[in-house]
Amino acid sequence: MSLPCGTRNYSYNTDMAIIRTKTQWVMFSLFLLALFTLPFYLPSSWFDIVNSIGIIVIAVVGLNILMGYCGQLSLGHAGFMAVGAFTTAILAQSLQMPFLVSLICSGLSAGLIGLIFGIPSLRVKGFYLAISTIAAQFIIIWVLKNWTGVTHGANGLDVMQASIGGFIFDSEIKQFFLIFSVAAISVLFATNLARSRIGRAFIAVRDNDLAAAVMGINIFNYKLLGFFLGCFFAGIAGSLYAQYKGHISYEDFTFQQSILYIGMLIIGGLGSSIGPIFGTVIIETLQKLLTNWVAPWLEQTITFLPTGFSSGLNLMLFGLVFILILIFEPRGIARLWSLFKGSYRLWPFSY
Amino acid sequence: MELLIQNIVTGLTTGMIYALIALGFALIWKSSGVANLALGQLVLISSWFTYGMLVQLKIPFLIGMLLTIVFAILLGWLIERLALRPLIGQPILSLIAVTLGLAYFLEGLTAFIWPQGQGYLPKAFPQDPIQIGTATVQQELLWGAVISLVLFILLSLFFKYHKMGIAMRATADDQLAIQACAVPVNRIFSMSWIFACIVAAIGGILISSIAAINYGLVETGFKSFSVVILGGMESFLGCIIAGPLIGICETFGGSLFGSSVKELIPFLIIIIVIMFKPFGLFGEERIERI
Repeated sequence: MSLPCGTRNYSYNTDMAIIRTKTQWVMFSLFLLALFTLPFYLPSSWFDIVNSIGIIVIAVVGLNILMGYCGQLSLGHAGFMAVGAFTTAILAQSLQMPFLVSLICSGLSAGLIGLIFGIPSLRVKGFYLAISTIAAQFIIIWVLKNWTGVTHGANGLDVMQASIGGFIFDSEIKQFFLIFSVAAISVLFATNLARSRIGRAFIAVRDNDLAAAVMGINIFNYKLLGFFLGCFFAGIAGSLYAQYKGHISYEDFTFQQSILYIGMLIIGGLGSSIGPIFGTVIIETLQKLLTNWVAPWLEQTITFLPTGFSSGLNLMLFGLVFILILIFEPRGIARLWSLFKGSYRLWPFSY
Repeated sequence: MELLIQNIVTGLTTGMIYALIALGFALIWKSSGVANLALGQLVLISSWFTYGMLVQLKIPFLIGMLLTIVFAILLGWLIERLALRPLIGQPILSLIAVTLGLAYFLEGLTAFIWPQGQGYLPKAFPQDPIQIGTATVQQELLWGAVISLVLFILLSLFFKYHKMGIAMRATADDQLAIQACAVPVNRIFSMSWIFACIVAAIGGILISSIAAINYGLVETGFKSFSVVILGGMESFLGCIIAGPLIGICETFGGSLFGSSVKELIPFLIIIIVIMFKPFGLFGEERIERI
């Protein structure tokens, strides 16, 4: 972590602060102001994109804790999200639980399922773990598909919109405030977690788990904690998704989505607190632009190709960006951002 | 008893095809230590290519097959050259992630060129079922099993006796040492991807001439990960034994608990094997040191 020039710390509190200088405070407040006043100047047709970005940010923040800090691969994140979504659907709809209770319960249930599938991480890592989480994804989706008594199979479940103390979040803009409050809390939590003892232990486990064990870190506990926290956030995201969409079925949580989240995280920047936000915003916006404007335009102008050819465009471009980022900037856009900040601070000097 | 034999025969023959796809995986893992998660997508794209040749362009069968093999060689070479080679020496996470990106890209490419989502190849093998004792088996499946077995034997012989095969095994053992012996490691990686793509293409043609070409091929790819895990990742023998085992488990599970359980069994096997015997039946256990 680089310290801005001319900043001195006179107490432990200032030394620990995330935001250190007045300029940073001003920028941060302006950013929050701009974010939470979005409804006043953004056309309301944009809010389905903005809201889904908010939900996915929460899931990717969880994935970042698991993959970026703790170094454990999860190719089943959409599956864990599905666990959260169905928990909310069942608790809020059938049992009439208040929304906040079902939100937390969704996180916990996804976290518990994550713990079970995280157990192999003690003995295996890398590719073996990747495969076991692929299996987790398919097993979870299979259960949701075939346990028809509870999940209604392909018909799915209806979910009521969230309400807190009689206030119902029944429009896109109200939903926006709900989703982004939760997202902001999640990002703040993840940022602080990375700076705590737990976060440092995660990083030690990621860099070399044997060495971490020798240093006295209980890798079993920390790997499982990583899985629990990562899947907890996935569950929260799933819960918000369920009440936002109003109807869920197992088909909403595919394996491709799990890969998509990993792609967003890697494009944004693994193991940085701002990376998930960059990755999600950029990829999600690009995909929506492609499907809403570019693809129809292409279909109209290029008529000699079979109809529906642009459906693959999204996947193809995403895969391409994914591979290119891995080759040319493995630390993602967050790294570019910090390079930019560094050179901006020193400008016009190049060192 | 009849049901038992029937299940065993069906399981054996379908399992051989899983084993064939898994062979493509083991090839790459054995020589370069890269886990290819785009297995199903390679099968998918080569099946669609065959479809394009045989059905859309109406090329005669044998020439079409030949073109597909050429396509597979090109594909393997391109993938290694453009996506994998720049990442040599990067952490394992990047190597896994790049094959995921590749999977996405190939899937998009197939949807881009063949958006219809479902296609049928002309039947390559005779259709009428064969009686083995009391069990009936589709002749196509039997052919598939025989071809997988032949490929397995050829590959094993290649790795055992051919100079290139020996060099590939040596590369898997110690890259630095083999480089010091003036063996071009880059070319070996490239060869292993080419071989893997050819195996995937043959697997793709076999499966899709039996069933349809659709997204199910990708799922077959995922299922054959269970073969890789059960057999042990660096073992051809493991593949060829674990494949039929998994096939048999699948058909038995299907006939005992209903057909929907069938899809689940390979994934359950993955979890169970990883929990209790993570390096599989024939894999070598690696001891880690700091």
